[in-house]
Amino acid sequence: MDSASIRVRLYATAREAVGRAVVELPVPSTGVTAREVVRRLADAWPALAPVLRASRFVRNDRYLTALSVRVRPGDEFAVHPPYGGG
Amino acid sequence: MDWRLTSRPLSIAAAARALEGPGLGGVVVFAGRVRPDREAGGIVVALDYESDRATAERRLAEIAATARRRFGAERVVLWHRVGTVASGDVSVIAGAACGHRDRAFAAARYLIEELKRSVAIWKRAQVRPGRRPRRPPARRAGRSAG
Repeated sequence: MDSASIRVRLYATAREAVGRAVVELPVPSTGVTAREVVRRLADAWPALAPVLRASRFVRNDRYLTALSVRVRPGDEFAVHPPYGGG
Repeated sequence: MDWRLTSRPLSIAAAARALEGPGLGGVVVFAGRVRPDREAGGIVVALDYESDRATAERRLAEIAATARRRFGAERVVLWHRVGTVASGDVSVIAGAACGHRDRAFAAARYLIEELKRSVAIWKRAQVRPGRRPRRPPARRAGRSAG
């Protein structure tokens, strides 16, 4: 099966937990679910797990309303911890 | 409707001017400033704001449009700083102009609460070690006064 990657952008406490603002995750050409992306992130960076539980997720600049959505190679996925504007 | 993320200083006077218009009898401008709070053994001297610009700007536009539709706000400003904002400086302005005050207050309240709840902006404090300067002690009106 061909594989490629998705780009994951991390903000605020998510970035601090990983130590980087952007990571690349390899995925098969058919993509994976958003739930699988979140699971892989938590496995790779255990310190990120509690942040992920409180976060919203964005694919290609649109909020995800379900973790069953597929994320495909070339997509951009973002982790949004709780907001703190104002 | 006027919404923006900007690294430039925010002006309350400019926001008030942007809310002027014929028949707009109720104008409310909320401005939030960075507080020099005590935190982790020091004083907050600045806040560093970051955003996910694409999603944040889209949500600012949605909030402004909703304020207009729900409260009849004919003019709206919804401005937020990004980057470093020093203690005492304005980090956010949410304002609305309506025909009357009740709706203007409600609209401005909606704007700021919804921004804080749902716009992709985060802050991190810059803390300077030490104590906040104390005010001089108040003079006692006791024995020395009589």
